[in-house]
Amino acid sequence: MAQTRRFELAISPHVGSPQTTRKIMFDVVIALLPALAAATWFFGPGALLLVALSTATAVGVEYICLKFMKRPVSFAFDGSAVVTGILLAYNVPPGVPWWLPVLGSAFAIAVGKQAFGGLGHNIVNPALLGRAFLMASFPILMTAGWAAPESWRTGEDCGWDTNAIVQEELAILPGADAISGATPLNVLKQTFDLDESSRTALAEGETEVAAELEARAVSTRSALSSSGTYANLFLGRRGGCIGETSVLLLLIGAVYLFARGVLEPRLPLSYLGAVAVFAWIFGGSGWFDGDPLFHVLAGGVVLGGFFMVSDMVTTPVTPKGRIIFGIGAGLITMIIRRWGGYPEGCSYSILLMNLVTPLIDRFTKPKVFGEVKSNG
Amino acid sequence: MTKPSTFRGGTHPPGHKDLSSGSPIVRLPAPEVVTVPLCQHLGAPSKPVVTKGDRVVRGQEIGAQNGFISLPTHSPVNGTVKDIKDLPMPHRRSGPAVVIETESEDGGCVFEPWSDHASHSPAEIIDRIKQAGVCGMGGASFPTYVKLSPPPDKTIDTLIINGVECEPYLTADHRLMLENPSDMILGMEMLAYALGVERCMIGIEVNKPDAIELLESMGVSVVPLKVSYPQGAEKQLIDATVGREVPAGGLPMDVGVVVQNVGTAAAVACAVRDGMPSMRRIVTVTGLGVASPGNFEACVGTPFSDLIEAAGGYSGDVERLISGGPMMGMALFTDGVPVTKGTSGVLALEPGEVREVSEGPCIRCGKCVDVCPIRLTPSIIATAAEYERWTIARDFGALNCMACGTCSYVCPSGRYLVHYIKRAQDAIRAMGTGKEA
Repeated sequence: MAQTRRFELAISPHVGSPQTTRKIMFDVVIALLPALAAATWFFGPGALLLVALSTATAVGVEYICLKFMKRPVSFAFDGSAVVTGILLAYNVPPGVPWWLPVLGSAFAIAVGKQAFGGLGHNIVNPALLGRAFLMASFPILMTAGWAAPESWRTGEDCGWDTNAIVQEELAILPGADAISGATPLNVLKQTFDLDESSRTALAEGETEVAAELEARAVSTRSALSSSGTYANLFLGRRGGCIGETSVLLLLIGAVYLFARGVLEPRLPLSYLGAVAVFAWIFGGSGWFDGDPLFHVLAGGVVLGGFFMVSDMVTTPVTPKGRIIFGIGAGLITMIIRRWGGYPEGCSYSILLMNLVTPLIDRFTKPKVFGEVKSNG
Repeated sequence: MTKPSTFRGGTHPPGHKDLSSGSPIVRLPAPEVVTVPLCQHLGAPSKPVVTKGDRVVRGQEIGAQNGFISLPTHSPVNGTVKDIKDLPMPHRRSGPAVVIETESEDGGCVFEPWSDHASHSPAEIIDRIKQAGVCGMGGASFPTYVKLSPPPDKTIDTLIINGVECEPYLTADHRLMLENPSDMILGMEMLAYALGVERCMIGIEVNKPDAIELLESMGVSVVPLKVSYPQGAEKQLIDATVGREVPAGGLPMDVGVVVQNVGTAAAVACAVRDGMPSMRRIVTVTGLGVASPGNFEACVGTPFSDLIEAAGGYSGDVERLISGGPMMGMALFTDGVPVTKGTSGVLALEPGEVREVSEGPCIRCGKCVDVCPIRLTPSIIATAAEYERWTIARDFGALNCMACGTCSYVCPSGRYLVHYIKRAQDAIRAMGTGKEA
């Protein structure tokens, strides 16, 4: 060739897979949408608005932070802030004032993510840090505002209570009034308190009171463990945080993520599996009499398992480490549910495990090809 | 057919092999001027034994072996030495080369042809392979005779011929297996004879069913392998075919195996049966950036520009020119570099074929961990290297990386993982505290 052509130099490999961070993040957003549909159906357009506000705030605050720190603002639009914004709103009750998720979302992005260096550098899940901040700052707002499913359309006679127990069973349940407006996990927590009161009464010699309290606890627990409750929990007819309502629609999102190759199954499966096993071991009133199905369906473990335990940035990268993370988070979740101060322990368990992620990675370093045999 | 064997990890980049897999090998005559590198093999370059103005004949030794891991170099043409100097190379920045003006390309049979290799001792065969300058033709160009001369404490019981060709785009080995299987099989028998092994087999990815069928019909023991990159990496191939894991930092001979590429086997046949030194090879010239991709048999020292011309010239906007495959090949700034014994392919890639370069932060998705055939943790090694925390990189096994590029390929953040890990390797070696490499 007469003319001299010059070509670009670059290190191998010269080809790359079409997968990008942006595509992953927007796949997560897509996977979260069915749950948003459930939230809107059960809790009304108000819930939708809270999610929208939270998401807009997350993206806006990310943009401002990046601008302020003179970093490329394109990061604000890579989808990761959208995910954080949605997840933050998914973790607040549907009845909170509009400014609460806005504040939480801003905190999540500014403190939870950008202060640590932005995408990929945050130590804990920003959305969960934002939620923890709201829990610490506005404990009353964050533990009230549970809305009965579909009550926004049908009023008080919607036919469902926040506790997910079906009306027929609720009608014959002693002390049903006390658990009206509470979340299923809250109801369970109350039965543990009843156990405690019953034991105290027994110690004071009031056998009749003790027996009555115990009977209430037992019948409430059996109402929670009925197929009607399971169905309500699975479909989403319960009180709870915006995003955790419908297990069915969360699972649809999870299947989508898995099919797209975004979801790594070790984390969510080890987490949900651990929750189920520990629920059976100590999730009931005694030992080995807990209800694994109820514990997996209730609260936020399905949302947490598929969308927050499996958050890539804040969880281990090693195959073994992921299983350890899932089991650890499952254990902490169940300890908090059974003996902790809150009825639900999902978010704190993930935050705590996030903190030990670097350690897990270091101690679960995979055996290099050929290393086993050369050492043995 | 049973389920094809494979190794753990790996990925499957689009093959693009159909661009050239249907094109029969075209023999190119030697160009007017050949630039014969003295550094075609891995190890010390040959010492030039000719001077400017000397007449040389085809097959004549123009560079002498210079140490154990080294080989002699031969002239691929009859002609006159014009110059001996350092020139740009396809596999390194530059290296010594002998520039020869071609007069003709006949002759070349400089050794006694041995029609029956079994009437010569294995040591004689190995010596012939050394004298003929045969090196691995799969890419790394390791002197073949060295692999055939294991230390006495190692017992070799298996010879594996590597017909995997797992790099996307490349079809040179595929065409060789289809068009010249008898030479390849003869070379395989010679190698097995030289090593004194009974058990030999050839590993081929199932994307080459015609080659598998042909070789099986000729009585060769074929191990069909799953299409997965890097199936053809020596240690992964051994794992997939015979289920032995080469110790970290060890060699295939540590598990009693020698691996040779199909092209190497054919070159061995030429050297022993025909008495011809290694002077020619098959090169795939492909990519959307050339008009008519194909496979060419060219003599070493042929400039890449001649190969491109033979493939119809550049078409459209060529963003990157690569020597070798797209996963491990070297990007070149010029096509004025010569073919070496290790040049398996010349790729001219258009912008759409090349990986987009916009590196983002690691999001710790762990895809690199899942695919790494060495079971390293590329994300952590790379981040450690980015912040110059060399001990962390070392503890996570950075020195074991063979730079296959699988991690960089799958990285959604487009991180230059191979680059970071190579940097870490250099720094760890410089520290002198690296574990046994």
